[in-house]
Amino acid sequence: MNRRFRFRGVLLLWLIALGIFAARAPAFFGLANITSILQFSTLLALVTFGQTMVILSGGGGIDLSVGGIVSLSGLLIGLLIKQNVPIFIAGVAGLLFGGILGSLNGLIITRLKLLPLIVTLGTYYAYNGLALALTDGAPISGLPSSFGMLGQSAVLAIPLHTLLFVVPVFLIMTFILSQTPLGRWIYAIGCNEQACRLVGLPVNLIRLGIYTLSGMLAALAGLVADSWLLSARPNIGDNLELLSLTAVLLGGTSIFGGSGGLTGSFIAVLFFTSLQVGLQMLNINNIWQLGIVGLLLIGSVLLDRSIRIAQAV
Amino acid sequence: MNWNKWLLGRREVTLALACVVLAILFRSLSPYFLTVQNLTTILRNSVELLLVSLGMSFILATAGIDIAVGGALGICAIFVGWSVRGAWPSGAVFLIGPLVGTALGLLSAALIVWGRIPPIIATLGLFGVYRAAIFLLLGGSWISGLPDTLGPLVNLSFGMVPIVGIYVLFFYFVGWLVIRWLPLGTAILATGGNERAARLSGVATGKTKFFVYGLTGLLVGFAALLYVARYRNVETSTGGLVALDAIVACVLGGGSVLGGKANLLGTVLGVFLVRLLQNGFVLVGVPSLWEQVITGALLILVLILDALVAVPASTTLN
Repeated sequence: MNRRFRFRGVLLLWLIALGIFAARAPAFFGLANITSILQFSTLLALVTFGQTMVILSGGGGIDLSVGGIVSLSGLLIGLLIKQNVPIFIAGVAGLLFGGILGSLNGLIITRLKLLPLIVTLGTYYAYNGLALALTDGAPISGLPSSFGMLGQSAVLAIPLHTLLFVVPVFLIMTFILSQTPLGRWIYAIGCNEQACRLVGLPVNLIRLGIYTLSGMLAALAGLVADSWLLSARPNIGDNLELLSLTAVLLGGTSIFGGSGGLTGSFIAVLFFTSLQVGLQMLNINNIWQLGIVGLLLIGSVLLDRSIRIAQAV
Repeated sequence: MNWNKWLLGRREVTLALACVVLAILFRSLSPYFLTVQNLTTILRNSVELLLVSLGMSFILATAGIDIAVGGALGICAIFVGWSVRGAWPSGAVFLIGPLVGTALGLLSAALIVWGRIPPIIATLGLFGVYRAAIFLLLGGSWISGLPDTLGPLVNLSFGMVPIVGIYVLFFYFVGWLVIRWLPLGTAILATGGNERAARLSGVATGKTKFFVYGLTGLLVGFAALLYVARYRNVETSTGGLVALDAIVACVLGGGSVLGGKANLLGTVLGVFLVRLLQNGFVLVGVPSLWEQVITGALLILVLILDALVAVPASTTLN
């Protein structure tokens, strides 16, 4: 009951936003626009799925470095493709690289028992800074147009990467979370880490795996971004940590871990991208989105808190 | 007496040694590094960060964190810039920065204490809000070419001691009094050490947090005043990396995000080390874009070293 209610909250917010945009800009519900909402949502969706798992697994889990990983692995993929490395191999290399960056977070957090918050704050600056410093802030552009197929084409008005990456990742991860022992373990670790250790669950290994997964999903987002823009931008991942974190919390996952899921996160992502596309249609500066998202982040936690208090009474 | 063991175990000694070693290293790479002029530059560049880091030390001591200080500094700087451009009375120009800063600090505290939002979430949200607010307030353009009315605030000196040094000494002295000698200091460390136990033994943890975030806001506002006095312009990126630099300086100095620790002298040395590194790398010819990477990597490095070697150096209650 609790979970469904919180998840309904973001759905309601999304519908309200859609209503406002539909009233102000009738073209909002055009087929082309729905395609572009999905087009914009892929990056955030992939990153948010990873972030959801990180937060679900508890222990103060948070990954602030995801944006930097998106930019860095995007740059590596772009660089490899410029060197005439086959696209498939470049993509796999990028994914592995993202996995390594993510596992670096995971290793420091689990081996040295440090707070994820401070560790990923450090890697947030290191990764983002590295992406800018290595390229002097200039994008790697001029990727071959054949590479653009992945990021630019659509099947029946649905972008190819949505069908190829977002939907399968969502389905597989939801299946794992809800139907397999591993999924149960992840929720259990988030609820009571100490009990899980005593029972003998490999808590550290699971968390390491989740941070690695978060890195790989970020790298996948980097691949999609490269293919879509036909260039690798060093700042493509900017603000994704704030957006993904907000999407996770708004989608009903508890900041303390152990409760929530991917569906709410996905709806929140669609809500954000509708907001982004809608604001663009109304010619409102995108910086507003950042401000609104910041307010939503604070608001969603406040709301979560008051719902709990109301239920306790 | 095992005074040498005591000396070597001190955080401050390690940091001071690190500063000296780095200075020698940079001296060998760039003859310009160890000149009076460059050292003065490093000290002057440290002033704003010293103020913000003092507040951050207090926040970390309560097991909190504030990553929105950079945005708050930007907003305060905009208000100071407006007041200078509008030729407000000098008292108002002087007070507007600290006032706005304190208000923003109390806002963070209200969200954290009354809203019971984890500090990282509250300040990350505010970070987004402040970034948007800065763009909105500035309207996409810079405040630049301000008259030099605030000049004396940063350029005066008493003999050898520049006035900015006196500000820093004053605030750190007050901070030291609070943390070392006043009941409030005990309350701060107790809140960070074990909040529940502190509350149960009668510590007003909520009020303590309001004090800590409010004080940081005040210091951030004052830092913004000094920033505008020195550079006479405000950009959208003003205050950008201050939060990272301050957290790194505090963690270097022996603070911990887990709370319950504060080491003000360590924080001062941490600030010097951060600024020394940043200055040294620029002189050696590393592009300034690397600054962020170096600072981030430094944070990770210190965390790892700290975790490997537990250093008992800071003021704690036990």
